[in-house]
Amino acid sequence: MAFLRRLGRLVLVVFVVTFFTFYILDRIPGDPAERLAGVSATPEGIEELREELGLSGSLPERYGSWVGDIVRGDLGDSLIYDGISAWDRIRGALPKTLETLVLAELMAFGLAVPLAIRSAQRPGGLVDRWSSATAFGLLALPSFVLGIYLMFLFAVILGWFPVLSKDLPGFTDDPVGNLKGYFLPSLTLALNLLAVYVRLLRTDLIETLQQDYVMLAQARGLSTRRVMWRHVLRPSSLNTVTAAGLNVGGLIGGAFIVEVLFAYQGMGRVFIESIIGKDYFVVASMVTIIAVGYVMINFLVDILYSVLDPRIRRLSA
Amino acid sequence: MRKRLGILFWIAVLWIVLVVFLAIFRDSLPIADPVARLARSGECERFERPSWSRWFGCDNAGRDIFARSVEGARPALVLGVVVTGIAGTIGTLVGVISGYIRGLFDTVMTTIVDISLAFPALVLLIAVSVAFEPSLRVFVIVFSILGIPGYARIVRGATFALAEREFVDASESMGATRARIVRRELLPNVALPVLSFAFIGFALVIIAEGGLAFLNLSLDGITWGKEISEGRHFIVDHPHVSLIPSTVMFLTILAFNLVGDGLRSLVAPREVATARRLHIEGTPEPRSEGDDAVLRIVDLSTKLHTPGGLVEPVDQVSLSLAPGEALGIVGESGSGKTMILRSIVGAFPLADVTRAGTVEVDGVDMLRSADTVSRRTLGTNIGMVSQNPLTALNPVRRVGDQVIEPMIVHGDLSRADARERALELLQQVGIPAAERCLREYPHQLSGGMRQRVTIAIALANEPKLLLADEPTSALDVTVQDQILRLLDGLRRERGMGMVLVTHDLAVVKGFTDNVAIVYAGQVVEYGPTAEIFANPQHRYTVALMNSMPDLNLPSHSELTTIEGAPPSLIDPPSGCRFAERCPAVQDKCRTDDPVRAGTDVHSYSCWFPMSEHPVEVS
Amino acid sequence: MAGTGDAHLREDAHLVARDLVVEFSGPNKTVVHAVSGVSFDLIAGETLGVVGESGCGKTTSGRAVMQLERPTSGEVTLRGQRLTDLQGTDLRRARRAMQMIFQDPISSLNPSRRVKDIVREGIEIWGDPDGASTSDRIDEIMEAVGLGGDDVGERRPHEFSGGQCQRICIARALVLDPEVLILDEPVSALDVSVQAQILNLLDKLKEQFQLTIMFISHDLAVVKNVSDRVMVMYLGKVCEVAGTDALYAKPTHPYSRALLASIPGHELDLPPASELISGELPSPIDPPSGCRFRTRCPHATAKCATEEPVLRAVAEDHYVACHHPGSV
Ligand SMILES: Nc1ncnc2c1ncn2[C@@H]1O[C@H](COP(=O)(O)OP(=O)(O)OP(=O)(O)O)[C@@H](O)[C@H]1O
Ligand code: SF4
Ligand code: SF4
Ligand SMILES: [Mg+2]
Repeated sequence: MAFLRRLGRLVLVVFVVTFFTFYILDRIPGDPAERLAGVSATPEGIEELREELGLSGSLPERYGSWVGDIVRGDLGDSLIYDGISAWDRIRGALPKTLETLVLAELMAFGLAVPLAIRSAQRPGGLVDRWSSATAFGLLALPSFVLGIYLMFLFAVILGWFPVLSKDLPGFTDDPVGNLKGYFLPSLTLALNLLAVYVRLLRTDLIETLQQDYVMLAQARGLSTRRVMWRHVLRPSSLNTVTAAGLNVGGLIGGAFIVEVLFAYQGMGRVFIESIIGKDYFVVASMVTIIAVGYVMINFLVDILYSVLDPRIRRLSA
Repeated sequence: MRKRLGILFWIAVLWIVLVVFLAIFRDSLPIADPVARLARSGECERFERPSWSRWFGCDNAGRDIFARSVEGARPALVLGVVVTGIAGTIGTLVGVISGYIRGLFDTVMTTIVDISLAFPALVLLIAVSVAFEPSLRVFVIVFSILGIPGYARIVRGATFALAEREFVDASESMGATRARIVRRELLPNVALPVLSFAFIGFALVIIAEGGLAFLNLSLDGITWGKEISEGRHFIVDHPHVSLIPSTVMFLTILAFNLVGDGLRSLVAPREVATARRLHIEGTPEPRSEGDDAVLRIVDLSTKLHTPGGLVEPVDQVSLSLAPGEALGIVGESGSGKTMILRSIVGAFPLADVTRAGTVEVDGVDMLRSADTVSRRTLGTNIGMVSQNPLTALNPVRRVGDQVIEPMIVHGDLSRADARERALELLQQVGIPAAERCLREYPHQLSGGMRQRVTIAIALANEPKLLLADEPTSALDVTVQDQILRLLDGLRRERGMGMVLVTHDLAVVKGFTDNVAIVYAGQVVEYGPTAEIFANPQHRYTVALMNSMPDLNLPSHSELTTIEGAPPSLIDPPSGCRFAERCPAVQDKCRTDDPVRAGTDVHSYSCWFPMSEHPVEVS
Repeated sequence: MAGTGDAHLREDAHLVARDLVVEFSGPNKTVVHAVSGVSFDLIAGETLGVVGESGCGKTTSGRAVMQLERPTSGEVTLRGQRLTDLQGTDLRRARRAMQMIFQDPISSLNPSRRVKDIVREGIEIWGDPDGASTSDRIDEIMEAVGLGGDDVGERRPHEFSGGQCQRICIARALVLDPEVLILDEPVSALDVSVQAQILNLLDKLKEQFQLTIMFISHDLAVVKNVSDRVMVMYLGKVCEVAGTDALYAKPTHPYSRALLASIPGHELDLPPASELISGELPSPIDPPSGCRFRTRCPHATAKCATEEPVLRAVAEDHYVACHHPGSV
């Protein structure tokens, strides 16, 4: 039941978003068929091409036929690059963006959890004050500003990483070179996330630490470490997990920006290029993928949430 | 209020004022033309570094960066003000309706907000700015739409919590209309959170616009994002071209966030940042020959260093508990009962804590022993039961894991053995389906059952001392009776010493051998329960007994009241702490600390005890 | 029906609740039967104590009388006027004669308003009931609740202790010159020593302002002290109604007996509570058939599972809803 409702929500989101995309694309000036056909094309020729590309008919008709194709597994062709399908465009870009995102989340959680724990153990202590202040500062840094700072510090001054992340080797070919290239873009995203996670987790840890059951666990002679990891961390993690879900949208936006900043061909750059070139099917397919991905991640977060908190399990069961 | 906002807040305000001022009066100030290519006229070189005469230097086209930074503030500020105004107003209204009226509107609203908050807004913005000619109007509309959910969510949350509060019910029963309740009771209370969020929302608008500008999709003219975007190409050789606008933007966003955060701290006071440190003072009192007490407390004082001042909730307390004895500790809330128990086990809320005196459990000095030693005593010789069974168990761990844990950690039992024993324990504390209970989570049990589970955990390693802090106050009368009898039975059976903290004299009378009456952090009377009930000496004890409604007296019996309220523990009065409220108070009481009197068995700290001055002295 | 019936209702009552039913929707489309066919009445000047354990529907009954919770069925009549038929402004006007005081005095006061504005609220809404000058009236009431003094009105609730906040709540209710006060656990959030102050104050105010009081509490000793008549509730039903001293001297419903026997230090001639009650409180989502107490009652018979006992007199003005009151 809950699953069906969620599925319904997924379909709804994808439908609204893709339809809106078609509508928007329609408004962008310029006609891809005209452009593809070239300057010497006859009006009939253009009309034919339009027919062939699936660009004729009213907006709902075009949308309908596109949905039909999608269901059959055909995302359509690129209208800018001849002989390249929308899927080809996406296939090149998606892994780069995904790698950036995954690395960013890993770094963010990897740093946030120990930092939050240290801070919560001694609120007002040195670690806490520094990490709180840093987190506050990071929250005020848009990714393109933070990216510039990091680029300047680590690439220009220190020279540890490449300035731009163009033409990176694949992970399997050259893991070090690959990771080095993605490090700065991922770190840019990670630091923004880190700030959110540390603040939330620290507050919740401190709150949990004041709970009766934690006091009782201490009074049972359990070590501080055990109390923290076994008793405190899990019940304190709910808000952070929620925030991770809520931040997916912002994270995707951030990824678009760091791709432009570090100049590599991820989803963001392809998306912008395609939308400006009115590359219908590439844009619509990308939007679909992003929408599905976003809903799936939130779905995962919900599952994780109920794993973490048995009280929720019963309600949604 | 001003003091609580702190210096950073005011610096941030100053920065915002400065940016706004420059942006508005740019034309009438001696600031260079932001678009003039000064390199041509030789006023400034391309990529000129910052200097005294040209604060921010020049960019790739030889234009003045300071002038461009000021100019770039304009679209950011205009957009921020308009969008914050529109989105804030609509969002607040939607949020209040959603949180107060609820119903279908709320369900629909929450779904929309949830979906839109997590959706990649930038993707949408990119699409819109390509589709529509980017103009201020289009941006205002789109940003406002994107901003509404944030406000709605905050306001709904705040309203929801407020509407649960009883003052809304009270106002409704006075006959206030819904409109009046929204206006008088709800809006004033959400105003500050909204205002605080408005500053943060303002910063978000600047960030979003900056992102678009960075992608070259924003408004025509000069904006911060565009400056950064163009300048980044020269980062290797001329970093200042991008770093300066970046920093201006960063500081502005930071300032807005700081103001928002400062305002929020007015609503929900910033939780006080205090480290938890435990200090021990004084020297231990040696134990006398032949003393076999399981618990020996001598002159225990506990001080908490809180932001409000130094609190001393335990002041010179001495108690002793023989094996198998039940000791009651009675007092009003805030009198320090719980803190006595916490001082024994060394578990405190977040604060600097200093303890002085002696606390010995089964011969182990709990204040000065090595960590491992005192932890072992805690684990094996002390069991603790707390007031609220709802919060005494970890909500996310199975009951079984929680019962087993102390046995595995301290009792060196294998998991299987520990499980066996856990089953046994649960049966002993009267849980019928023990097997199933082990697999359940606390929320699946009733309050009484949960309290039985905490008792089972406390008994896990056969402790010699059981500390029970109001074990039944949160329970229903019939359950209360069952739990008290259970504790009493277990104590007798196992020869455990038990400390029973309570505010209920009837409980003390029925279930303890000795009793300590606590007032404002001090033990004011201490002795055998029967003796004290028959023959109370301290004036507070007497007053307490007379103010309790007694089930055995006819209805409408007049109750003796104790006027006033207990003194603050932050700077307690000198002399007798009960003097303000005592019907028998004399001048001497206000100046001199009462000296412990009576016998070794029954002692009290009162200058004019009942036995010597049976009628009220006055 | 169990614990239903209206044999105990009196002719000359000022406020009557007849056959009140309040249901909430629970999780997963279930129904929470919070109050199921409860009737009671108050004669002018009387204090009715309502006791029972948590979740038995005491609070809900009080809120239903106030119409803060609209009852699913049943009627509430005040001076012959049926409040349950009224809506909107008519309801607000009629309800003015009743006021409610809540358990948590601190959360009952809007933290952002000054005490003087809080207390004046009623007059702002309705105008002054006896036309006397507003500030005089407020001064008089503040004096009566023991909060006389110049600067009290200017301060905000957080500057007061729990007991003082409860006094402010009482003052706010008295401003409208109510006939009936509904007090929901008015002293359970307070300290013992402060509790006595409020109880004595209520007694005094009852005389001074000629109040009729419905006093809801889980504390049997407190209820005994303040009430003229007591009603014992269990799981949304009435078990027993009688004059206070009669009920406490000779509790007759098996549940009332268990309740009293559970109190440490009682001097009644009762067996230990463990012999009078067993098991756990059933869920109000799926209450037992017949008599709702039967799953825990030592005297339960087959009849108790099928047929709901109705309140009937066992002595003069002493009503019990039990099939076997004699067996105790
Ligand atoms: N708004 C509500 N929604 C759902 N269930 C409710 C609601 N209010 C009360 N209930 C349920 O109705 C039943 C009766 O509740 P009520 O608060 O009237 O009991 P009570 O006797 O006042 O208890 P307590 O002594 O704990 O205050 C309980 O099972 C309670 O959980
Ligand atoms: S010392 Fe004085 S003030 Fe204190 S309780 Fe005794 S008589 Fe009262
Ligand atoms: S004897 Fe029957 S009717 Fe009476 S209380 Fe027990 S179960 Fe209910
Ligand atoms: Mg209640």
